[in-house]
Amino acid sequence: MTALAGTASARSQQDPLTIYAAASLTEVFRVLDPAQRYSFGASNALETQIRQGAPADIYASAAPLNTQNLFGAGLVEKPVTFTANRLALIVPKSNPAGIRSVYDLRSKPVKLVIAGPAVPVGGYTRTVLRKLGLSSVLSKVVSQESDVKAVTGKIALGQGDAGFVYITDARPVSDQVTVVRIPAWAQPRVRYEIAVVSRSSNKTAAQQWIRTLLAAEGQATLRNAGFLPLPKSKS
Amino acid sequence: MNRRRFLSAAASGGAVLVGSGTLAPAVAAATEDELAYANFGAATELLLQNFYGRVGEEKLFSGQLAKAFARGRFAAGEHAAALAALLTGAGQTAPLEEDFDFAWPEGTFANKRSAATAGSTIAEALLGTYLTAAATSPTDSFRVLHASLVASLGEQLSTLSLARSRPAIGNSFPAALDLEAANAAVESFLG
Repeated sequence: MTALAGTASARSQQDPLTIYAAASLTEVFRVLDPAQRYSFGASNALETQIRQGAPADIYASAAPLNTQNLFGAGLVEKPVTFTANRLALIVPKSNPAGIRSVYDLRSKPVKLVIAGPAVPVGGYTRTVLRKLGLSSVLSKVVSQESDVKAVTGKIALGQGDAGFVYITDARPVSDQVTVVRIPAWAQPRVRYEIAVVSRSSNKTAAQQWIRTLLAAEGQATLRNAGFLPLPKSKS
Repeated sequence: MNRRRFLSAAASGGAVLVGSGTLAPAVAAATEDELAYANFGAATELLLQNFYGRVGEEKLFSGQLAKAFARGRFAAGEHAAALAALLTGAGQTAPLEEDFDFAWPEGTFANKRSAATAGSTIAEALLGTYLTAAATSPTDSFRVLHASLVASLGEQLSTLSLARSRPAIGNSFPAALDLEAANAAVESFLG
């Protein structure tokens, strides 16, 4: 499904938009609109690139902090929340450490893979562990990755026993990993924000792209990919 | 802890009053375990509050039981607020009802017994974790708070038991639960 294909065809005579987006949006944005030019990565790394003048038209972050930082610096227009997500623990299908519950991380010898603390999913991971009273398992971390796809890849390849990712990142590798649920009460508020980059030369098209993303079909595609509906009230 | 020590802990151990007289401890030195129990408690009290709200909407009970459940809803809200204050005081984000998509299995509110059984499951999980928190917390004021919560949940469980046509007084020694066991009991409701 190409929910934003109409947008793409309407822009067929123009250059594609350059969209800098969180790594966790890789699959769904390509499904939404394959006609645009994407740069996916850790939201903090993309924020830095935009600060340094990267030629982006749109910036979509997995954490409000990054978009708000850029908004505060006048580098993006007012961000809007467009979707939400949840964290999950993934283990290789072979599950060599025998992880059945997130609490097993405490009692079993585990090679844990997480993202670095500045990466949104890395920050969320630490929040989850703190809420669960399991921060001590950080001593079992064998690798801190630069983005969520790197965590997912390592676990899918069996290079770690368990890793924290967004639930949406587990889907594309569902034949290689098993999802271990994280309790709802320990979930962080994962909110995605998107904004037009201030120095974009395609602001009108960028604003239209965001409007389409926020509209029913864009939201339906996000939900089909496992993202959560727009938050009910506070963003 | 005798009465004098209990009151002393409440008065000088950092306990404060929030809301309409709810007891909440000062949180400057809260341990991660204490905050984990608070996180579970705050979220599950919101669930219990939602449960009582649904019971009221469905008008399953009348008379004293209906009044008791309305009061239970108020108490759950107060408990959630006290635990939320504790969490925000410790620099954490307190859960809000909108963070959850509470899931009530089909038939939960079909009759008095099924509804009261679901409520009992939630209240037992809360009471069990509050018992553990009261027993393990290194902080006097946290133990006071959790002892107070245990007392309130005991009353609610008694009322829910009556609503199930069971004796008001059940286990002589209700089970203490760790977070993993308590979570397993209510996970399907929390969504």
